[in-house]
Order: sequence, then C-alpha cells, then structure tokens
Amino acid sequence: MLDISDLSLSFGDKQALDSISLSITSGEKIAIIGSSGSGKSTLISYIYDQLQGSAAYCSQQQGLVESLSVFHNIYMGALGRNSAVYNLFNLAFPFKKPLLEVTAIANSLELDCPISQAVSQLSGGQRQRTAVGRALYQDMPMFIGDEPFSALDPVMGKRLINLVLQQHQTVIMVLHDMDMALQYFDRVIGLRDGRKCIDTDAAALSAEMLQAFYEDSTHFIGASIEPAEIA
Amino acid sequence: MPDLVNMSSTPRQAFFGYWQKVTLILLCVTMACFYWADTEIIALEPWSELQRIGLGFLAPDFLATEYLLEAVWQTVSFALLGVAAGLLFGAPVALFYNKPVVAAACAFIRSIHELFWALLFLQVFGLSPLTGVLAIALPYGATFARVFSDILQQAPIYTLQNIPANTDKVSRYIYGRFAHVMNEIKAYVRYRFECALRSSAILGFVGMPTLGFYLESAFRQGHYHQGAALLILFIIMIGSIPFWCRAKLLPLYFIAALWLLPELTTIDGSLVWRFLSDDILPPMFQSHSMDLLLDDRWQLFAKWFYNIVTEQALPGMLATVLLAVAALGFSYLLALLMTTFSFKPLTGTFIARINNFILLILRSVPEYIFAYIFMLLLGPSMLPAIIALAIHNGALVAYLTGRQSTTTSFSRHFNGKIDGYAYDILPRIYPNMMALLFYRFEVILRETAILGMLGVATLGFYIDSNFSEIRFNGALVLIGATALLNILIDIASRRLLVNASLSHKPC
Amino acid sequence: MFAIKPLLSMLVLLFTPSLLAATFTFTAIPDEDESQLRTRFDKVAAYLEEKLGVEVKYVPVKSYSAAVTAFRNNQVQLAWFGGLSGVQARRLVPGSDAIAQGYEDQFFKSYFIAHHSTEIMASDNFPNLNGYTFTFGSKDSTSGRLMPQFFIERNLGKRPEDIFKRIGFSGDHSRTIAQVQAGVYQVGAVNYKVWESAVAAGKVDLNKVDVIWASPTYPDYQWTVRAGVDETFGTGFKAQVEAALLSMNDAELLKSFPRKSFVAAENQDYQPIENVAKTIGLID
Repeated sequence: MLDISDLSLSFGDKQALDSISLSITSGEKIAIIGSSGSGKSTLISYIYDQLQGSAAYCSQQQGLVESLSVFHNIYMGALGRNSAVYNLFNLAFPFKKPLLEVTAIANSLELDCPISQAVSQLSGGQRQRTAVGRALYQDMPMFIGDEPFSALDPVMGKRLINLVLQQHQTVIMVLHDMDMALQYFDRVIGLRDGRKCIDTDAAALSAEMLQAFYEDSTHFIGASIEPAEIA
Repeated sequence: MPDLVNMSSTPRQAFFGYWQKVTLILLCVTMACFYWADTEIIALEPWSELQRIGLGFLAPDFLATEYLLEAVWQTVSFALLGVAAGLLFGAPVALFYNKPVVAAACAFIRSIHELFWALLFLQVFGLSPLTGVLAIALPYGATFARVFSDILQQAPIYTLQNIPANTDKVSRYIYGRFAHVMNEIKAYVRYRFECALRSSAILGFVGMPTLGFYLESAFRQGHYHQGAALLILFIIMIGSIPFWCRAKLLPLYFIAALWLLPELTTIDGSLVWRFLSDDILPPMFQSHSMDLLLDDRWQLFAKWFYNIVTEQALPGMLATVLLAVAALGFSYLLALLMTTFSFKPLTGTFIARINNFILLILRSVPEYIFAYIFMLLLGPSMLPAIIALAIHNGALVAYLTGRQSTTTSFSRHFNGKIDGYAYDILPRIYPNMMALLFYRFEVILRETAILGMLGVATLGFYIDSNFSEIRFNGALVLIGATALLNILIDIASRRLLVNASLSHKPC
Repeated sequence: MFAIKPLLSMLVLLFTPSLLAATFTFTAIPDEDESQLRTRFDKVAAYLEEKLGVEVKYVPVKSYSAAVTAFRNNQVQLAWFGGLSGVQARRLVPGSDAIAQGYEDQFFKSYFIAHHSTEIMASDNFPNLNGYTFTFGSKDSTSGRLMPQFFIERNLGKRPEDIFKRIGFSGDHSRTIAQVQAGVYQVGAVNYKVWESAVAAGKVDLNKVDVIWASPTYPDYQWTVRAGVDETFGTGFKAQVEAALLSMNDAELLKSFPRKSFVAAENQDYQPIENVAKTIGLID
C-alpha cells in the first residue's frame, strides 16, 4: 500500500528524518515510538500526506476550532462527504442526520458534556476525545494518529484505542505508552534521532527491550545537548 | 550585590521602548500641527446663544419633530440594509484582499466619506433609499474587506490538516479558517452596526429621511428644544443597542426594513448616462462647449485644473492633515484619561459608571454638533473642529479599550492606586489602545469632511462648495485628491508602524 | 446569507416601473423656519391637487442644490427656488419657466449686520469692511451669498478673500444672526425677511447686533415649472399651475413660504441674477 525508501527530511539545520525505508500493507496495526524530537511526528505526517485520500488523521495539535461546538468539530469529519451548500447550512442549522450520528459517536467516546458546548470550554481530555471523534466520523478505512490519547487516563485510553482499532482496517499511530504499543499493535517502529532503529513484530519485543531503547536514546540525546549548554 | 557594576552599565535609554518612542513622536507631531493650525480664539459674547442651547436641553421638545417615528425607523433601516449590503460586497472581497489592486481599490472607496458617496449617488439615483443604502454599503464593504482579511490572516491553519482530504474548497475554508475567527468577526460587525447608525443619521444632513435630516435643521436654525430632543433620542438609540438589536430579531428587522422602505424612484437611464458622460467632465469638454477648438480646450483645461489644485486641493489637503493630526494627538490624551477612569478597580463603581455614561454620550453625539457648540464658544478657527474630533474619537477609543481592560486579568498584587494601574494594567492594554487609535486616524481624516461642511476649510469644505455650486467636475477632482491623501497616509503609516504586528509589540 | 433576500427584493423593486409616474411632484424650502416641512407643504399639495385635478406630492429637500438636482432629474416638476437656484435649474433643463414669484420677491434685499464691538454705524453708503471677519449664509443662497458678494466686490473693488480677515459660510440666515450676535464673526449678510421676523420674535439683542447697510433690491424666490409638463399632464397644464399659484390666497398656505401673495414672473426677470452669478464666477 505504501513504500518509503531512503526518505530524508530536514527543517533548516535540523535533520528530522534520516534515510528511512519502510513499507506498509493494508490491515496492519502499526505503533511508532521514540522519545521527543526523534522524528515521529514528521514521519507520521509524511505518511498521512501519502495516504490522505483514504486515511483519517488526528494530529497532535488536534486542530479544533475553539469557537465552534463539539458537534460542529466532530461534524468536520464529514465535510468531504457532503456538498458545500449542505455544510454551510449545517453550520447555521444542524441537520438531523449528522446530529444523530455525532451524538452516537460522542456517546461511544463517553463525552460527558452536551455536544452543543463550545470546545473552548472543554477539559484537555474532552478536547482529545472530540478530536478522535472527528477522525472516527471521517469513516475511513485507515486511521493515522499522532499521540491521540496522551491526555486521557489509561483506562479511558484503552477503551478508545479498542474503538479505533475496531473501526479501521489499518491503524498507524504515534504512541507514548509502550504497554499500549505492545498490547494492541502488531508492528512497532522505533525512531531515534531521525533514524529507524526498531521495525519488528510486537510479539518479538519485550517491555525490557523497549525500556533499553528509550534509555539509550535519551542518553544519546542528552549527550548531544550537554556541550551546547556548557558553552 | 556582585552585579552592581554590570547593572549601572545598563544605559537608561535602554528602557525607552517602542511605545514610548511612538508616543513621544505622536505628541511632538501633534504639537507641531497645533502650532501651524489656525487656533485663534475669537468669541466675544457667546452666552446668550449658549443659554438658549442649555434651555433646549433642560426642556427638550419631543413633539416638535414631524414624522419622528418614521425618522427613527429609517435611521435603523438604512443602517441595517447598508451593513447587510456592505457584508455582501466586503466579505467575498476580503478573500482577495492580498492582491494589491484589490487593496488599493478598497482604500480608494474607504477614503471617501459616506456623505460624499451620498452626494454622488444623489445625482444618479436622486432622493431614493438606494442612495442612502449604497452610501453606507460601499465604504463599509471596503472596510469589512480590509478588517476581515486582517482577522482571517490571524486564524490558525492547523485545523486544515485534520479535515478530510476530499473536502471541497468552500467547506474547507469556512470550517477550517473562518470558524476560528467567527466570533471576532461577529463582534466587529456588531460594532460597525453602531457606526452605521451614526452614518445613517448623518446622511440626513444631505436629505435622507433619517434623524439627521431634522437634527441638522433644528441646530442650524436654532430650534434647540427640538434639536436637544432629537439628540437625546439618538443617544438613547445607540445606548440601547444591546437591548433591541438581538440576533433573533434581525430577520424581522430586515423584512420590516424592506417592507417600510420609502418608495424607490425610478431611475432614468439617460440621466445616469448624462451624469457619467457629461456632467463630470471638465467644463471645456462638456457638450455645451462643443464649438471650442481642441487646442483651446486643452489650454483651458490646464488652467482650470491648475486653479483647482492650487486654490482648493492643496490648501484643503494641508488643512485636512493639520486638523486630523492635531485631533489624533488630543484623542490620544483623552482616550488615555478616560480609559483610566473607566477601570472599575481603580476608580470605584460609581465613577466608572459615570465615566461610561459620559463615554456613551461623547461617542454618540455627531462631531458636527460638538463643533457647532465649540464654534460659538471659541470662534470659527480650526480649534472647535480639533476639539470636536478629539472628543468623539477619544471617547470611542476609550470605550473600546475600556471593554478590553474590564476583561484584562490583573495580578493579585494590584494595589488599587494609579501607580499600580500604570504598572499592572496599562502595559497590557496600551498596545491595543494605540493600535485602535492609529486605525482611527484613517476615520478622523475622513471625518474632517463633515467639519468642512461646517466651514473649516478642509477638503470637505471645497467639495461641499463644488456640490452646492453644481460643479461635479470640480468635486470629483477634489474627491480624487481626498482619496490620494488617504492612500498616501495609509502607505506611510504602514511603513512607519509595520502595523501588522502593532498590537503585539511589548510596551 | 441573510442579506440575499433584501438585496433581491431591492433589485426587483428597482426595475418595477413606477406606479407614480403621473404624480405631479414639487419641492420647496422656505427661506426661514424649515421645521414641520412636510406637515406644512402637504397642505399646499392638497390645495394644488384640488386645483389641478392630478395627484400632487411634496418631497422635502435639504438644500437648494438638492432641489436643483431633483428638478433636473425630473423627480420634481415644480419647485420653489431661490433666485440663484432657479437660474441654475433653468439652465440645466432648457425650456423650464419661472411662472410666479412672491410679492416680496420683486424687491428683495439683503442686510449687512455687524457686532456692536465693530462700532460701524448704519449708513446708506457701503461700509468699509476691510480687515473684518465676515460670514455669508449658505453657499448657494441668493440673499445670503450671491448678492452680498456681488455688492462687496462692486463697492470695494476686491475679491472677498482680499478684503476680510476671515470668511465663513454659516449655512443659514438664523445662524448668521446668532454668530454675529455672539461675536464669532464681526459682520454678516442676511436675508432681510429673516432678520425682520427674528427681531419681531425677540430673538435678536439689538444692543449687540444691528443692521449697518441695506442692499439695493433684486428679484429673488420664484416658482419654476419643468419643461415638458404639458406633454405629461395635458396641454395647458403649465398655465393651470400658474393660475393655481397666483390665486392662492389662503393665509395659512402662504405663511409656509412665507409670502403675502404670489405674482406673475418670467425668466427675463431673473436675468440680473444670472449676470451677477456669472460676474462673481458662481456659474460658468
């Protein structure tokens, strides 16, 4: 479905991705891990750019519209399915059908606020669930997410990840939580300093190995920062 | 104190920041303009006339005006329809505002005062409501285009990334960008509606059937009991906008506005054509001078044009700039003072309330009335006009800044005194106040037009003279000069102040 | 979106042929007291309607130049003009005729008034106004601007801007009186009828402001009817209008103008005004 070979990207002086090669096939559940600054977000947004016709995307910044209601923010997932006129009318007077559908999604996400509430008044967890809701409502065969559950408590996070996995054939997700990566995904890609260090079946990885990977990479980054600080 | 040496080496002028410089320059330029402007005080015995004005306000006569309700309603209706039509024109144009041609065209349209648009449309559409509605719609539309485009530029773009890839362009734009700033735009439209009410009233000065029609006659002819009543009514109308201007009622108002519109007179195409093809041409090119030789025509034209430029355009421009800059400086002082007074934690509920009431009155009363009263007091120099403009605009800026300062969160250390205010609140609201003030300069420049009609020899004075002598050609040259002046100042202020980031500069 | 409907209906209205095409419309601005215009002149409209047998409507306007514009654009077919605005209107719509003037308008005049501090004594000779501040009435007024400026230029041999220290246009005769009385301007020119009724009404403090010079007489206000009314409203309509105006003797109607009665007039009567306007450069 997607083949990346020898991909390098840099922003200014900083090398974000360094000769990455990987291929993704339909039906895979892939977790991307790595410490901050390792290039995860760059990679996932690159993948999304390649697949955007068939993927729903949930970015780290969420991209919610503060002044709009929860309903409208989730409805934005359906913008592509409907005509401009329909979308415009729905902005002023919500139609019944999307209202029902969005209510169902909000319920399944356990959003405990009225969907008419403006996003600016939500808590961090509620905002994240709204953003996930918008991606779900896109109704795409593939879900691409950049730490979509970071602000949720572990129990809620697990419930939602099940929901996302159930509803999408293919899932590619940047994750912070290693347990989650091991438990729910069948392939794990580990990035360090823009390079792919791990790309293997989840079953072949143990928590200890991952721990080592993280410690290694933090050590690595720490070492590269220290001289600059002293200067 | 190991760093004593280091500290004393920080020069004092290092604390003289961006806004201090801007403020100092503003005050210096104001002083210079004030010095060169004609500010002689000539008035010997104003008291008997002022007494009559005072008596008028003590006993306002609400029944002296015929068809009063109709006038009130038409004031609202012209404002509503004008703003609606302005939105219809300005909102789409905002999307193309980054094109220099569009921006220049909008600057041109904006630079011409509603009154002059009305005077122009009067020639084409006559005393039809279309004249009034278009006179508001055109400059307001051009302003909407600029402000919407500014606001939309500030809308974050990250939402676009999360919208399904196959979304059509319109929905993408509306949900992804516009929705972010919708509330800001709504607030701006609401504010402009208040301005439109004022504009609509002022269009009465040239014959539209709004409150201004009667207000101007009453003050001009010394019927102060009637004039005071109309003015009070107008202030109440502006002050009570939040009560009667509800979003839910708007559709109702629209239908009523259209239903009760004064009848539209039919437009005679040949008259429109004559206006465009003959009336506005210089006299030597008009059809009545067909027998002139072409060479003579051009010679006469050069002389005619030279006379207009040297006798009217240049002196008018100079007076306009002097008046506007002096007024800007005084607006600043007034705005600073009244913003401070309107800050409740500093002055207490009572004074803040009184101050807000005074602000309402000062910003609602048309400059024209202030200028008239000050003219009786101070004589016919530029001084009354400067004070009138400063009061009106200073109060408006103070009102808008004050609204912000009430929502500004201040630290718990705020001591409730003026020094605390200067440390804690002022630095937060100052950039915004200055930005508003400089935006307002464009408006002040335009409003000198109305004072021109009162006799201060700004460009507005000469334009008005040309209209009353039925010389549209001359009026058009001068309107062109007004536009040119506005555009030049716009460019200059953009260069000087880099106003895109004006409100984000630290104090 | 909500603005589409209004605009559409406006467009529809715009292209609907006017049902009022056969309404005879007139306008008038009296030289004093512009209050209650519609209430007062609707009565005149009713009078004309009765005499002429067609629907008659009054439209209020704000200034003489607005009246001229309405006249030229055929939004009014009859207008009560000042001397200057009548000349302008008839030049713009050839074939239009002055048909009646007020009795007083045959020998109209302007007064020059001065603040007492100037110590100018009233005289039959034109006063020496060099170096004073001066205010006219409105820019397009015959008695407040055109004729005074003419007399000033003829008597002092210079343009006003070379004579006066400061020149103003008060915009209205009542305001000229108020401003000279307050000393805002030292000297002013005013319509004699407005002055006399202000004095009669006790609005003038004669210790502070008084007449210093009365101008020679000249023709002023008149009714002008637009070219082509006979084609629109039937042959002889113009004559009918003239007869109706001349026979108006209801004191209440005449008070609106305010005139004693109307007498016959013709374009030729206003030739002096046109000449004066050309002399001082108000018309080309």
